[in-house]
Amino acid sequence: MVKSTYQPSPAGSLPPLPPGWTEHKAPTGHTYYYNAETKQSTYKRPGAVASAAPATPSVAAPIAGAAAVSFPVAIPPTVSSTIPMHPAIAGYPQPSIAPHLNLSDPNVANAFMAQFNQAQHQGHRSGFGGGGRGGAQSRPRPQPVDKPRSKIAIPGCDPWILVYTKYGRRFVYNPIKNASYWRIPEKLMPAILELDKARIRQKAEGKPAAEDGSQAPADETTATTDATSGAARAPEEPEQQPEKSTHDYDSSEYEEVEVTDDEGESLEGDAEGHSHKRQRTQEPVAGAGPAEFTEADIEAQLAAMNAEYGEDVEMGEGGWEEGDEGLPLSEEDARELFKDLLNDFNINPYSPWEKLLEEGKVFDDARYTVLPTTKARREVWEEWSKAKIQELKERRAREEKKDPRIPYLAFLQEKATPKLYWPEFRRKYRKEESMRDTKLTDKDREKWYREHINRLKLPQSTLKSDLKRLLESVPLSALNNRTMVSDLPSQVLADIRYISLEPKIRDPFIEAYIQGLGPPPEGGDTAHQEDEAARKAREERRRRQKALEEREKAVAEEKRRQEKRMLYERARLQEEEREIERAMHVGKKGLQTQLAGAMLAQTDNRP
Amino acid sequence: MPAIRPASKRKPPPDGFSDIEEDLLIFANKMKDAQNTPTDNVPKHQAQWPIFQIAHQRSRYVYELYYEKEAISRQLYEWLLKNGYADAMLIAKWKKQGYEKLCCLRCIQTKETNFNSTCVCRVPRAQLKEDQEVQCVNCGCRGCASTD
Repeated sequence: MVKSTYQPSPAGSLPPLPPGWTEHKAPTGHTYYYNAETKQSTYKRPGAVASAAPATPSVAAPIAGAAAVSFPVAIPPTVSSTIPMHPAIAGYPQPSIAPHLNLSDPNVANAFMAQFNQAQHQGHRSGFGGGGRGGAQSRPRPQPVDKPRSKIAIPGCDPWILVYTKYGRRFVYNPIKNASYWRIPEKLMPAILELDKARIRQKAEGKPAAEDGSQAPADETTATTDATSGAARAPEEPEQQPEKSTHDYDSSEYEEVEVTDDEGESLEGDAEGHSHKRQRTQEPVAGAGPAEFTEADIEAQLAAMNAEYGEDVEMGEGGWEEGDEGLPLSEEDARELFKDLLNDFNINPYSPWEKLLEEGKVFDDARYTVLPTTKARREVWEEWSKAKIQELKERRAREEKKDPRIPYLAFLQEKATPKLYWPEFRRKYRKEESMRDTKLTDKDREKWYREHINRLKLPQSTLKSDLKRLLESVPLSALNNRTMVSDLPSQVLADIRYISLEPKIRDPFIEAYIQGLGPPPEGGDTAHQEDEAARKAREERRRRQKALEEREKAVAEEKRRQEKRMLYERARLQEEEREIERAMHVGKKGLQTQLAGAMLAQTDNRP
Repeated sequence: MPAIRPASKRKPPPDGFSDIEEDLLIFANKMKDAQNTPTDNVPKHQAQWPIFQIAHQRSRYVYELYYEKEAISRQLYEWLLKNGYADAMLIAKWKKQGYEKLCCLRCIQTKETNFNSTCVCRVPRAQLKEDQEVQCVNCGCRGCASTD
């Protein structure tokens, strides 16, 4: 969904709630309003809705008109009735509105809103613009995402539309070909230049257009044919067309656009003014009928663009970094992150890539998207699996070979009973690990099973003597009075005679036998000790390696964090620089704009 | 595939088979499913496409394990080929330049076509017409030229 661009305006500027309504905070942080009597709840500030009778959609009060104020603190608390007003908008000065508007008709509503807004921002642009900016700057944190704010059909180049984003960037979009470009194509250039000129002219003329705007929407057609504002209005009209005709918005190719400085200046202000317009014109449409080309569509596209463009976009324009999604990752980090993801999900390095995609376990993880394309992901995956397999191989080589008979015999001792024939036994336990071990053949398993069962029938004394013989056969170097019962040589463990006796009889017996043995022979002892030393060294080495790895990881983590911090600081610095630049810029109204901005900033900061 | 001997007389597969056993089993199940799905409503020439495709995928899997990831031993690789887990003839083609992505052997069999030509899926994308979508008759391949 679209993230709200709504910035709460200072409390003073909001009209008081009508009686019965109370303000609440939703868990998501949105404020909503609840009427305990009607059990109604809404996100929209009820404002004067309750006070104005629903039967008469005529407007509550034409107060704002000429006495419009330059910042929202002094705004009268009245809002026109049927227009679904955004709370932020409620603070704007309201011009007088002609009665009997059928605002449920989206066309009429759009036309009305366009006029209405135009009148507004032309009348009070300088003061209000500065104030708006001030408010935006006093935000604690930059907004994470750029959003499309408005769009204009480009006259003369039919399917193309020009889309403005929240941060004043713009791109062109062709709804028919589903293509969008940051860089404005050559063939659209003249038309767009025309558009810009028209806007500048319109801005300069100011007053006449404002008067136009305050007229009833019935005059809309005449207004558009008006010679003075005609050029400016031309884009407004077709603006509504793409709204209905376009949808299914997706793109893959685009280029970044660099707007020239002086143009950008006028554009910035313009885009902002325009964006107010857009915001309002869109609401009635959304309410009245299915609007296909919604903000969500453009936003999805922008998100896709951002995802693929990453850093480049940030460098593109001064006003961009605060819209960047988080902080850009370096290629290396992205790769490492993706590898971490593979590690965390315990992906089998031997499995094919298709299996990873089919299972789809990893899609939900955010790290999946750090790499822009599936191709890149596959490359990283290949690299990772290769390394992982190598690692596994090494680990296996390091581990000493274990006699496969030992687990099987232990299993036999636990499970085998004379009550079961071999086929029954095999069927019963066919899923056990030791029964499926491919190192042993079924034949051997059967042989040992039968032997074991046969031996179970023998008298205890025979079994004991057999075990004793087995122990005696083991050389003193392997079995001596220092050997632990739990750590017998595999020579003993892998013998059928070892499992014939029950553990609770066998273990004390073996212990007693070991007690009676002499110490390990000198030569054998050293060999044993050497063995021990080698094992210890190996252990130590492994531990060190592990520690090193861990340290490296920690260092990498720290480095990454530091890099991120640096980037963030840089972004902030740029932001500040821009702020200063903006402050240095003196508009037509001279110091007034500065003052208004400062005052608004103060009022913003107060709550 | 060689005759399946009773478990008691079977020689164990070489080391490392247990690592890939599961994935091979998945391929085997897929193949079985593909073989058992009814082809009543499928055009005749398309009936065997899934089988070709799964065989290709499985061969590719084994090929990559041995030649690219170097994850399996030579013994295991040979054992897999001998036991029909991968198509040795197809892998032999993949080793040749220009055939790195070959989809199936039938697509390069020129003698079976009217004009002694290879399949359309062997034609590089660049030489096809703009936006021309091809899917070959033999195995449903959409293009396996090594330059694509």
